[in-house]
Amino acid sequence: MRTDSKSDISHAQLFLRRHERMRSRVMRLAFLAAAVCLWHFLASAGVWNELLFPPPREVLQSLISGFSDGTLPAAIFASMWRLCIGYGISLAIGVPLGLLIGRIRLLDDTVGSLAVGLQSLPSICWLPMALLWFGLTEAAMQFVIIMGSLMAVTLAVRDGVRATPTFYLRAAPILGAVGWRFYRYVLLPASFPSVVTGAKLGWTFAWRSLMAAELLYVTTGIGSTLMMGRELHDMALVVASMLIIITIGLITDRFIFKLGEEFVHKRWGVG
Amino acid sequence: MANVELKNVSKVFLGQSGVVHGLTGVNLAIPAGEFLCVVGPSGCGKTTLLNVIAGFELPDQGDVLVDGARIGGPSSDRFVIFQEPALFPWLNVRQNIVFGLRMAGVDQRIQDEKAEALLKMVHLTRFASSFINELSGGMKQRVALARALAMDPAVLLMDEPFAALDAQTRDMLHEELEAVWQQTNKTIIFVTHNVREAVRLGSRVILMSGRGGSILKEYPIDLPRNRYLEDVQVVTIASKIRDELRQEAVRANEAGGTDAH
Repeated sequence: MRTDSKSDISHAQLFLRRHERMRSRVMRLAFLAAAVCLWHFLASAGVWNELLFPPPREVLQSLISGFSDGTLPAAIFASMWRLCIGYGISLAIGVPLGLLIGRIRLLDDTVGSLAVGLQSLPSICWLPMALLWFGLTEAAMQFVIIMGSLMAVTLAVRDGVRATPTFYLRAAPILGAVGWRFYRYVLLPASFPSVVTGAKLGWTFAWRSLMAAELLYVTTGIGSTLMMGRELHDMALVVASMLIIITIGLITDRFIFKLGEEFVHKRWGVG
Repeated sequence: MANVELKNVSKVFLGQSGVVHGLTGVNLAIPAGEFLCVVGPSGCGKTTLLNVIAGFELPDQGDVLVDGARIGGPSSDRFVIFQEPALFPWLNVRQNIVFGLRMAGVDQRIQDEKAEALLKMVHLTRFASSFINELSGGMKQRVALARALAMDPAVLLMDEPFAALDAQTRDMLHEELEAVWQQTNKTIIFVTHNVREAVRLGSRVILMSGRGGSILKEYPIDLPRNRYLEDVQVVTIASKIRDELRQEAVRANEAGGTDAH
């Protein structure tokens, strides 16, 4: 009997949760529709020049033609590919570096404080240096992405390592987790919640740096498409590019990082 | 099985208001297979004593010997069970229990066999695949005990492991721990602030001084096993120790008190 009533309760809870999720989905859609409607009316009211304030219809047309002639998918693919490489390098360096800096005082005093300093530098400030060192190349853009996101990843992981409860650190040696095993099997998983935070933060920075980097020169990429819109006075293309940038941002946040956060929530019961 | 010996061990800490004596000239011999309980007013250095034996802290003076050999650092041979179970939330119950074996590169088949036996011993077979976050406090301490036993340490060091548990759960864990001790004959050093728990479990109880961390009195407990917390003899001895403890706490207060925390 007890198990029956228990499962009844959990069914009810499940139903309520689904209901809530459904409701927030509907609200979100309704809000979006209202925003588009408002946009449409403002544009057709004719207060502003249509060249400067395109109606939603034109933006949609720009999106459709961009997708059908293949330029937009190519731009998105080029940007994502660039991002994957630069962000991948940032993660590959930043996570181990953060683990080490969090554990070794000397490294924190030296490399750690340098990272804190560089973190305050907006990624667009790296453009001149990237240009002079690497010229108009892919490497210059990668450089900007890496410099823009590496510090955020490193510092978030370092902070997570520092906040690791002492009892994990004490349990490790008596369980035989010493040397590299300690880093691999205790410290890395123990700081996984902050690795997720760091990865998310790093992605945001990398994405913004990429958009800055693509302003360097005319190339294939969603940031470049945006600039091309400016050059051609094609406001619809500008807005279309902005919408794509927002959409990609939302998708990564909702689907990729949500997974990591849900995992942390389930295992750690926090976050 | 191993005997533990402390020879003139001292340890001081730098606190906010100067030097705090964690341990002062502690001499203590713990024969192999003894169940030693340590009680004392808070801040008397009970935990420091445990940390020094575990190797987490080095004594400023004196030696800690296990089977006559000076200890280096922490080792799986002296396994610590903390008040916080210190289990790994990213691993399930079974993986937590065999973590130490995995680190030692023990054969997978042997790991599985050991895990099954230990899960059965601590009554957690049904929860082998559960994650730590899904367990109650008592279940967590059972996993911690199983994880310790997997390493087959000669000495078990327990730092108020049952302090955060409810009374029924604690009673059950007392019985389980007593059974484990009787079966394996390990040397156990058990720190607690609960005097009755100390008398219930220990074959000897030592009372530490609230001033500067030294041993004030020793009480051999010669009551037959399996005892209960409510046994008249347990209660009688416990109240004797508690009177002494209370007086000591007052004396420590008057002397200005030293708080190691």
